[in-house]
Amino acid sequence: MTDAALVRLERRALAVGTAALIVAAVGAAFSPAAFFRAWLVSWLFCLSIPLGALAIVMLHYLSGGSWGIVIRRVAESTAVTLPLLALFFVPVVLGMHVIYEWAEPGAVAADPVLQYKHAYLNVPFFLARAVLYFVAWIGVAAVLVRWSAERDVVPDLDPRRFRLFAGPGLVVYGLTVTFASIDWAMSIEPRWSSTVYPMMFGVGQVLAGFAFTIAAAVLLRDREPFGRLVNPANLVDLGNLMLTFVLLWAYLAFTQLLLIYAGNIREEVTWYLAREQPGWLGVAFALIGVHFFLPFALLLQRAVKRNPVALATVAGLILVMRLVDDYWLVLPGIRGAERFHWLYVVTPLAVGGLWLAAYARRLRGLALVPANDPLVEQAMAAHGH
Amino acid sequence: MTTATAPPSGPPPVIGAPHTYTSVTDKIAGIVLTQRTGRGWLFGFMLGLALLGLLALAVTMLLYLGIGIWGVNVPVAWGFAITNFVWWIGIGHAGTLISAILLLLRQEWRQSINRFAEAMTIFAVMCAGLFPILHLGRPQFFYWLTPYPNTMSLWPQFRSPLVWDVFAVSTYFTISLMFWYVGLIPDLATLRDRSQSRIGRVAYGVFALGWRGSARHWQRYEIAYLLLAGLATPLVVSVHTVVSFDFSVAQLPGWHSTIFPPYFVAGAIFSGFAMVIVLAIPLRAAYGLQDLITERHLQNMAKILLVTGLIVAYGYFMEGFMAWYSGNRFERYVQLNRIVGPYGPAYLGCLLCNVALPQLLWLQRVRRSAVALFVVAVFVNIGMWLERFVIVVESLHRDFLPSSWGMYYPTVWDWATLFGSFGIFLTFFFLFIRFIPMISIAEMRMLLEEERGEAAA
Repeated sequence: MTDAALVRLERRALAVGTAALIVAAVGAAFSPAAFFRAWLVSWLFCLSIPLGALAIVMLHYLSGGSWGIVIRRVAESTAVTLPLLALFFVPVVLGMHVIYEWAEPGAVAADPVLQYKHAYLNVPFFLARAVLYFVAWIGVAAVLVRWSAERDVVPDLDPRRFRLFAGPGLVVYGLTVTFASIDWAMSIEPRWSSTVYPMMFGVGQVLAGFAFTIAAAVLLRDREPFGRLVNPANLVDLGNLMLTFVLLWAYLAFTQLLLIYAGNIREEVTWYLAREQPGWLGVAFALIGVHFFLPFALLLQRAVKRNPVALATVAGLILVMRLVDDYWLVLPGIRGAERFHWLYVVTPLAVGGLWLAAYARRLRGLALVPANDPLVEQAMAAHGH
Repeated sequence: MTTATAPPSGPPPVIGAPHTYTSVTDKIAGIVLTQRTGRGWLFGFMLGLALLGLLALAVTMLLYLGIGIWGVNVPVAWGFAITNFVWWIGIGHAGTLISAILLLLRQEWRQSINRFAEAMTIFAVMCAGLFPILHLGRPQFFYWLTPYPNTMSLWPQFRSPLVWDVFAVSTYFTISLMFWYVGLIPDLATLRDRSQSRIGRVAYGVFALGWRGSARHWQRYEIAYLLLAGLATPLVVSVHTVVSFDFSVAQLPGWHSTIFPPYFVAGAIFSGFAMVIVLAIPLRAAYGLQDLITERHLQNMAKILLVTGLIVAYGYFMEGFMAWYSGNRFERYVQLNRIVGPYGPAYLGCLLCNVALPQLLWLQRVRRSAVALFVVAVFVNIGMWLERFVIVVESLHRDFLPSSWGMYYPTVWDWATLFGSFGIFLTFFFLFIRFIPMISIAEMRMLLEEERGEAAA
């Protein structure tokens, strides 16, 4: 994708995003509840991409390997969207009272469980935590992006400092995403809890990060010398990593289902009972089939992983299913949420369009091949195994 | 002559000293074929035999007098036996992880440690398998666990993870054994060819299955090895997942937790790598293998120990946080009872060994020091045993109804069976290092070839 094409993409994304935002705003005037629900899902989905991508960058600093060089720049660049996403948190705050039962004083007064949880689930603490998460994420991202850019200029930059930063950085990522997932998604059903939920949420983010960065790298492969990095050997490694996270996601989702089903405890099964209502059950089966079995079957095949277009298609499919999964996690839990509303389609276009425009703007003229990293040569020379 | 010198900024080399095909073969095969039986080996083997004797005594008493000689009773019906089972099976995870997953990830450093880690896996799974069978009460009827046609209307309850365990563990043992044996074949052939004695030639020759090292042999060997690695990889995850189901499908507070599967798998890898470190450090010192099991191996294993330890710590933390967040009074009580209850020291010891001490591994100085790493790894093994003890006993001894609370005190026979199980492990392990090359000769030669290629490039 040339710079001119990027400009066109940015313009189109901006146009679609703005138009959808206007339509969604009109819809919000008529059915505010549906708008806020759809906004939360769209926002969580867009947020998962930069957060997952940052985790991948840090993972790569610790583990090494040619694959990381391919997606390092496209992954790092997603960080530029974090301030925009922080801004997009505002509608979530405005809609808190329709999304989160624990944010309604009336509901809390009527329920001893919510009163007990008030120590954690209350509006000021919720907002303070959100500020803390964004400060942490933007801080970590800023360091990663700045150091990476510095290495392009200063050849003998100490490579150890990337590793020294990435270790604690991943710990920070793990802890913040744990609590963010509890705050923003799990607390929608405030009487329910599952110890594996935050881990499943984080794995979903990293999977979204892989799917997005792989697709982006493939789309940008006509740039030279970046195109030499997007070679079959590196794509196979990236495909395997994406497959690993598909499996990890399915493993965590399945074991949670099995344990809650087997335990059959009243407070726990409510989560799945809400999700086996007509309409949602179909989504559940779609997740099993299209979020797990289909990518699993496709990504096992070397031919798919070596072919850039095929791999990017699978990545795009996974990305769509991540959005569906976010819907499935959030909506059935909200009392009175419609199974379908036209705003559920328009709002992701608004948030996603504006997000993509910000991202495409960042890519313009960016050097996609990091300089002065000894891994680059190895990654360019990599050949099929 | 190949010298593997890494650039100063890069990681230490996989093979330390300058080696050739011949010198590698001489060194590893020599330990088995030409070295005299050392005093250290004899001492270790005798220790293993002594503990094996202790186990024989404990098991004889158990079979003669019954389960009552152990401290288990209602409400704590699962005592040391299940703790030991989970602990040993956890240790048995590192070998196949190193061999299969690191093979698929192309981590070439695995090649010096995979052979004895796999052997360790097999012996640990043997120790583990002993405990549920002894715990049956009537061990002679162990085959009732398998679905077989009979006239007694007897059929396993397939909804029970305890039945899944039978299949998971036996499959894992079979695949691990196959994997280890297939990997051994080229080396057994080397020993057959080099052995000076007729007995050695015949014994190694029988097990080498007529290996001649032809190109066709190698091609099929590589395919078989890769397929077995692919089969073993999901098993590494599935076995400890099923073990975690043994607890987590129950409704008991402290057992019923959805994070159990990933946290048990991480804990298994954590304890398994700790055991590999505990075995590798004395072995390399005793047999002078510092150039084959290098600082690089120790550092990488230390890093895996740190990462899996952090996942385990995250598991403890989530259990604690969710117990509070859920507002469930029984969950909260279990967490409190773990700290201030009668078994409090066990939980605090577990936190010290599994959470606090491994944080030292953030320091490169600790990762580089064989002694410090050894000490941390020993404590991790102790801590992981304590963790399983806490999980098994704490939840059972105080459940929902205070009227059904009770204490569990291990008897001398509980301890004898625990220490006796080391007899199986040590005896087999010492026999292994005396009669089988503890590092894969064939893979070390391949590694030399690769490093030579890199040096030329």
